[in-house]
Amino acid sequence: MNYLTGRLVTFPLVLLGVSLIVFIAIRLVPGDSITAMLGTEAGLLTPKQREALAAYFGIDQPWFIQYWRWLYDLFHGDLGVSVTYGRPVLDVILERFPLTLELALLSMIVALLVGVPAGVYAATHNEQPSDLGVRIIAMVGQSTPNFVLGLVIIYILSAGFGILPVMGTFTSIWQDPLTNLSQMILPAVTLGFAFAASVTRISRSAMLDILKDDYVRTARSKGASSRAVIWRHALPNALIPVVTLSGIEFSYLLGGAVIVEQIFALPGLGRLVLDAILQRDYALVQGTVLFIAFNVMVVNLLVDLAYATLDPRIRLGER
Amino acid sequence: MEQVRAIARHTSGRIGGAIVLVCLLAAALGALGWTPHDPLMQYRLDRLHAPNGTYWMGTDLFGRDVASRLMVGIGQSFTVAFFSVAFATLTGTVLGLAAAWLGRRWDGTLMRLMDMLMAFPAILLALLIIAIIGPGLWTSVIAIAVIYTPIFTRVVRGPALSLKEREFVDAARTFGSSQSYILSRHLLLNLVAPLTVQVTLALAWALLTEAGLSFLGLGTQPPTPSLGLMLSDSRNLMETAPWLMVFPGLAIMISILGFNLLGDALRDILDPKMRRSLA
Amino acid sequence: MAIRTTKTRLTGMAVAAMLGIAAVAAPAQAETLRMAWAQDATGLDPHKQTAFPSLRLLELVYEPLVRLDSKLQIMPAIAESWEYSADGKTLTFMIDADAKFQNGAPVTSADVKASFERILNEETGAVARANFLSIDGIDAPDANTVVFNLSQPDAPMLTAMTDINAAVLPASEIAAGSVGTKTVGSGPFSLEKWDPNSKATLVANKDWAGGMPGVDGIDISVFPDESAILAAMRTKQIDFALMNDPLIATLVPRESGLQLNREAVLSYHVLQLNPSRSPFTELGVRQAISCAIDRQQILDTASLGEGRVTGPLTIPAYASDPNSLFCYTRDVEKAKKLLADAGYADGFSTTVIAATGEPPTAASEAQVIQAQLAEIGITVEIEMMELNVYIDRWLKADFDMAVALNGGRADPFTMYNRYWTKAGNLQKVSNYIDDTLDSLMMKGRAETDPAARKETFAAFEKHLAEMSPWIWLYNSYNYTAQQDNVKGFTPTPTGSLFSLSEVTVE
Repeated sequence: MNYLTGRLVTFPLVLLGVSLIVFIAIRLVPGDSITAMLGTEAGLLTPKQREALAAYFGIDQPWFIQYWRWLYDLFHGDLGVSVTYGRPVLDVILERFPLTLELALLSMIVALLVGVPAGVYAATHNEQPSDLGVRIIAMVGQSTPNFVLGLVIIYILSAGFGILPVMGTFTSIWQDPLTNLSQMILPAVTLGFAFAASVTRISRSAMLDILKDDYVRTARSKGASSRAVIWRHALPNALIPVVTLSGIEFSYLLGGAVIVEQIFALPGLGRLVLDAILQRDYALVQGTVLFIAFNVMVVNLLVDLAYATLDPRIRLGER
Repeated sequence: MEQVRAIARHTSGRIGGAIVLVCLLAAALGALGWTPHDPLMQYRLDRLHAPNGTYWMGTDLFGRDVASRLMVGIGQSFTVAFFSVAFATLTGTVLGLAAAWLGRRWDGTLMRLMDMLMAFPAILLALLIIAIIGPGLWTSVIAIAVIYTPIFTRVVRGPALSLKEREFVDAARTFGSSQSYILSRHLLLNLVAPLTVQVTLALAWALLTEAGLSFLGLGTQPPTPSLGLMLSDSRNLMETAPWLMVFPGLAIMISILGFNLLGDALRDILDPKMRRSLA
Repeated sequence: MAIRTTKTRLTGMAVAAMLGIAAVAAPAQAETLRMAWAQDATGLDPHKQTAFPSLRLLELVYEPLVRLDSKLQIMPAIAESWEYSADGKTLTFMIDADAKFQNGAPVTSADVKASFERILNEETGAVARANFLSIDGIDAPDANTVVFNLSQPDAPMLTAMTDINAAVLPASEIAAGSVGTKTVGSGPFSLEKWDPNSKATLVANKDWAGGMPGVDGIDISVFPDESAILAAMRTKQIDFALMNDPLIATLVPRESGLQLNREAVLSYHVLQLNPSRSPFTELGVRQAISCAIDRQQILDTASLGEGRVTGPLTIPAYASDPNSLFCYTRDVEKAKKLLADAGYADGFSTTVIAATGEPPTAASEAQVIQAQLAEIGITVEIEMMELNVYIDRWLKADFDMAVALNGGRADPFTMYNRYWTKAGNLQKVSNYIDDTLDSLMMKGRAETDPAARKETFAAFEKHLAEMSPWIWLYNSYNYTAQQDNVKGFTPTPTGSLFSLSEVTVE
């Protein structure tokens, strides 16, 4: 538990670091809220007009004063107001987050349900034709850019079959689970396909490793059945790299899947960040990145705890 | 030399090695300018020409020969993939081992730094890096390397932690082996297998990330072809000129297949446990 | 109520899709027009927003005093009638007594006065202010009459008033400071809900002075990828869409049941040179580039031939035959000679900047230009960048050459005043001016006789093309796609969607 408290204590520090980097970095990118709103017409502004707009966007002060103000508000539970959305940043994020979380979970489920059994199967049939087949499918899945897969799926469904789940109007799972699922399944498969392939390969490799390990051989020699050896002894250990990988993938997905969201017109966090960057909506960029950072850290913490559960030999943070 | 012979003996190693060699050969020919056509030449009368005897893989929107561009593109994409993964692997392995071995404060600090990096949406990272150093081949290398360093760090740290507690490391420690000996002899050697798989996975990811960056307009700059840029440029011509998507798509697929097969072979050959069991 | 029926219908379709049953086109009922576009509005303050999608959304909600029809003729909007005084120094508008804001209040001269004072107030940060600097004072003698007192005759000002950036807002909302967060317009639709970059819901304004719109409302969805828009139209999820990329738009006519409207627009594709930077300071170098460029080939390659080669003036009433302009027929030998005479016989190296995806053809145009200039020994490096980065560099004139799609205006003076007059606000970017250009522009501004005006601007255009500070390339089409059962849409050269107020779905 000492370890856990240590992690929890550093939590705010990391978040502070992230916020500071984002704050400075987003202001280093050329262009500002004014050019984002006006484009080349910004050149028509008089100096006084420019000042008035800078004040409106809250970018009229040096960055450290802006940062101080932002921090001050943050400690009072306020992430600021998005100039594009005209609403509190946190409201906008919380509205988009369920979609992102759902997409991340669904695609992970797709990937793990397909990937782990396929990996175990391939490992137990090492170098047999069926192993080769699984590996080749995995490689195809792994080597298709998701924008290609997404576009091809949409094209085939719409031009070939004349069907397509409703796009552009997103229905949340609470409003109508069926419609929601119909909208989410294609993006989830598009995302999950590539990841399933990675999971297959990683779990196959880890499984092969473990099956040669001493204690598995011991278990086997003590007469444990082959199935029991695989599922009781080998799999939990083989899952360690899968957990690592899934943690990484999941935390990336929590940042939003920009490309898939774009293609399937889903209003998720990925597009929120992209649009906020493109529109130089500073408060929204800062708020969203902070929110994502928080989630990523929670996931990483959970992954580290999962190690300890899967492999009792790891004593967290002790020498 | 012995390793090369070992690869040649290994079935998937043979196939994978052959594919990678062919890709490298195509890339080398492309780099030397030995392509069927000038990859930048715009044959204006032959725009969007379907594959035929003159243009084996057709021509693009500008009337440029797709086959020639593909050869150059493979080289560009491989350069991005190799260098970004090499950078991420080296940095990630060093950081991951340091975190696992040094433990406590080091572990905490390093891993929290990685958390910070991972907390940035990849698109924001890419945009920032490009805004600072301008777009181009090496910018893509740096952007992808930075995105993948935290992954390698975590991937190395996990198994390293687990290995560190294994009997043989404990044993080595009680026998008074030096830290560096234990690190290189036991930890690193035992990490080779998971790392090799991770590297081949990452090469695939890097090729795809390069394509993704191109999709968002942040990758290789025109008119230089890369597989990702060719694919992303083909997306709105998918219906008019499918060959523009098919050939770069196949090229990416085949290269990744080659990397993976080769990686699997290397994994088997380098794995100490494997050798032990073979012996 | 309308929203609920729509939702139920969409749900039905989705269930059908999920079950793998062909999503039977919900027989498009008259109530709501389902529309899609790739880029959303960026804000709701009509005086501040200048992005194309913002203008298109806001012109359905707000109204200016006057508006342009599809032939670019000035038509009544809030103002029923208007007239200039004999000396051209007062402009009087009579306001339509039926005009009403969506909060029920009638539109009065006080609202017009407050709106223009808001635009003129520098604290507002309204870009359109630059077009109204001739206004000395605004009088409101009675509720339906408003008088603009001008410091000088200003013929183009009336055209500038057709812009949604000169919209009339309720004086009460201006006083309350709620413009931009609350939309109270007098236009055909009211904005019910707006979720930026995702969805906008418009509801027909039953009290609109122009009559009842043909549909009950418009649902606008944002599809960032245009091929997804096409897919959604194929499966009849979308009735009407805006398209930017000619590669996608040209696929529409192949689909049965879909129509493509293409309308030549005022905006123009241009290669901007930077005459403040060597070697573009040399007239010979700029002219050499003009002669080396094959405009038709750029158009054919980048836009699949969708458009027309154009000179600086894209307004149909003012445009001259491009072939009468300097070097509009490609002449590589002449280009080489001009280059050699300017002291660059061996050519030189330079860069061109372009914004990613803005316009969608930018990267393609840059690549064709690169190949064409290579033929006269000019080595061009292409720098693609995010739109905002590009604009930042453009405003600082930090470029050698730039590929751009510039917006056009219905009046040549309003369109080019900013670049090609001595006092032009963007002279710092265009970096080229001479006495001939400046005096012709000033003459054109004061002139009221259409024939004389046309002649003046023709001379301006000819001289500008010859001095080649920029290389004008072509103007393309504005695309809208629609299902066959959508009737009554009239596209305009400004790209306006105002005619959606007349559209019906059968």
